[in-house]
Amino acid sequence: MENSVQFSTLFQQIINGLSLGSVYALIAVGYSLVYSILSFSNFAHGGFLVVGGYICYGLLSGVDVYGFFEIPSSGIWLASLGALGGAGIVAVLTERLAYKPIRERTSMTLYLLIASMGVSIVIENIFVILVGGRFRALPQDIFPSALFNLGWNVTVSSSDILSLVVAVFFLGGLQFFLSRTRWGLAIRAAACDLHTAGLMGVNVSLLISIVFFVAGLLATVGGIFLSVRYTLYPQLGGITTKAFVAAVIGGLGSLPGAVVGSLILGLAEMLTAGFISSQMRDLVVFSMLVIMLLVKPAGFFGRQISDKI
Amino acid sequence: MSMLLEVNNLHVSYGAIKALQGFSLYLEEREIVSVIGANGAGKSTFMNAVMGMVKRDQGAVFLKGEKLPGKNFMVVQNGLSLVPEGRKVFAPLTVLENLKIGAFSRAGHGDVNKDMEWVFSLFPRLKERIHQHAGTLSGGEQQMLAIGRALMARPQVLLLDEPSLGLAPIIIRDIFAELRRINEEGVSILLVEQNARQALLLSHRTYVLQTGHLLKEGLSKDLLSDPEIKAAYLGTREKR
Ligand SMILES: Nc1ncnc2c1ncn2[C@@H]1O[C@H](COP(=O)(O)OP(=O)(O)OP(=O)(O)O)[C@@H](O)[C@H]1O
Ligand SMILES: [Mg+2]
Repeated sequence: MENSVQFSTLFQQIINGLSLGSVYALIAVGYSLVYSILSFSNFAHGGFLVVGGYICYGLLSGVDVYGFFEIPSSGIWLASLGALGGAGIVAVLTERLAYKPIRERTSMTLYLLIASMGVSIVIENIFVILVGGRFRALPQDIFPSALFNLGWNVTVSSSDILSLVVAVFFLGGLQFFLSRTRWGLAIRAAACDLHTAGLMGVNVSLLISIVFFVAGLLATVGGIFLSVRYTLYPQLGGITTKAFVAAVIGGLGSLPGAVVGSLILGLAEMLTAGFISSQMRDLVVFSMLVIMLLVKPAGFFGRQISDKI
Repeated sequence: MSMLLEVNNLHVSYGAIKALQGFSLYLEEREIVSVIGANGAGKSTFMNAVMGMVKRDQGAVFLKGEKLPGKNFMVVQNGLSLVPEGRKVFAPLTVLENLKIGAFSRAGHGDVNKDMEWVFSLFPRLKERIHQHAGTLSGGEQQMLAIGRALMARPQVLLLDEPSLGLAPIIIRDIFAELRRINEEGVSILLVEQNARQALLLSHRTYVLQTGHLLKEGLSKDLLSDPEIKAAYLGTREKR
């Protein structure tokens, strides 16, 4: 009896962990993608996710757009589409307005890092002013909430399955884009040497914009699932710290690394919650980071050992 | 012969350092022109300025009489392709991917596969290593790949920045022989070299650059026997 309880908890937490990890992965690949091209950790990344979350919330709660366009609360797909595009555009604008002027004047990535921290604070406070600091729940009925019993007391919620499926879809799409398209090849070349990519006739400014658009879009996919899980508030972007840790554990700049790191982190968190205590989750996460940095600073898939933050 | 590339009165500075102070040259169709000079003479600066990679204080570049835009990627789209100093192949990408990215500026125009076959006919060793990561190639093979990659853009002018850098003399001879063949197949070449002997042997005409200024220009075969050039640039065979 004791054993079967243990087993069902294990199984349950593995499913929960994969679901959470897949959401982290959507966010972590954006960190890694930007890092691979511009060699700095974009701490405004969490802000993009918040922007997307609020666009989605706004559209869903039937904000009148110019008084004639209203999305019914069942229109999650339409609202998500708006949120993904909107956050992508905000990410591109952030790069153009805040980072590009710095990039053009200096090659010191430290300045970019500091600017990104500034942008993150700006975005957070814009939402505190505009919509207030309250926690907002996305309408409960937007995702199917049925529970499936898999036997042995293991249940999966359909929103967990949905987040897993959607994450696989988007990560697969990213993989396809990077490995099979002309611009994807250009991005991989730029990740190796941005300067030389320009010599191939690649419009480097456009390439960087594409990268930020993709990063903002993927972060928002993750952000919508996080808002459903934890509600939406201006500081929700802070949760991307975990995705950042995942990206570092996997090896910053490496996309497979970001995904693997995220899954490991999601599993570690959920197994800790299931077998030790929920309060220990963050402790375990950051202990893993510290151990990883001590033992293998470049991460599982990292290319070179250098300052990653 | 007709005028292909014309560089007029190029000035480039890095802060207070004036790296290029009014350098001009021209290249005719099907010609090989070289620029020789010692370390720090401004050779790479010149190439990068032509390619739109560094800001020009003054001066302009014309291709077939048309002024080239200042933006790097537009220069490439207009038909200039640079093999950069130190090769700069994309190490984590395969040989095939490196060649494909070389054709990026063409946006699928023309027969990319046919040009790839042409590159493989010039450098058969690349074909044998098509799925190998570029970083695992030897120095000479990487130089071949860098040249092949630049040719994939089907340039009107192929620019090379010190293709001999860090290579054994026997490999240098191979590479220069291939450059001659590439030129015979119709590609005009602008070459920048510290290895003056090889550059003079390969090119039709040569410019001698000294700390940002033109020191001398003339037919390469004349410069080979010029006493001043002999003393300053041909005294030692290998500079690096
Ligand atoms: N990015 C830079 N910032 C400041 N100074 C530079 C920069 N690049 C080149 N220089 C300076 O400009 C001058 C010309 O350099 P350049 O690299 O063009 O020489 P080069 O002829 O290519 O030399 P080499 O044979 O060593 O490659 C040198 O004095 C160099 O120190
Ligand atoms: Mg040089």
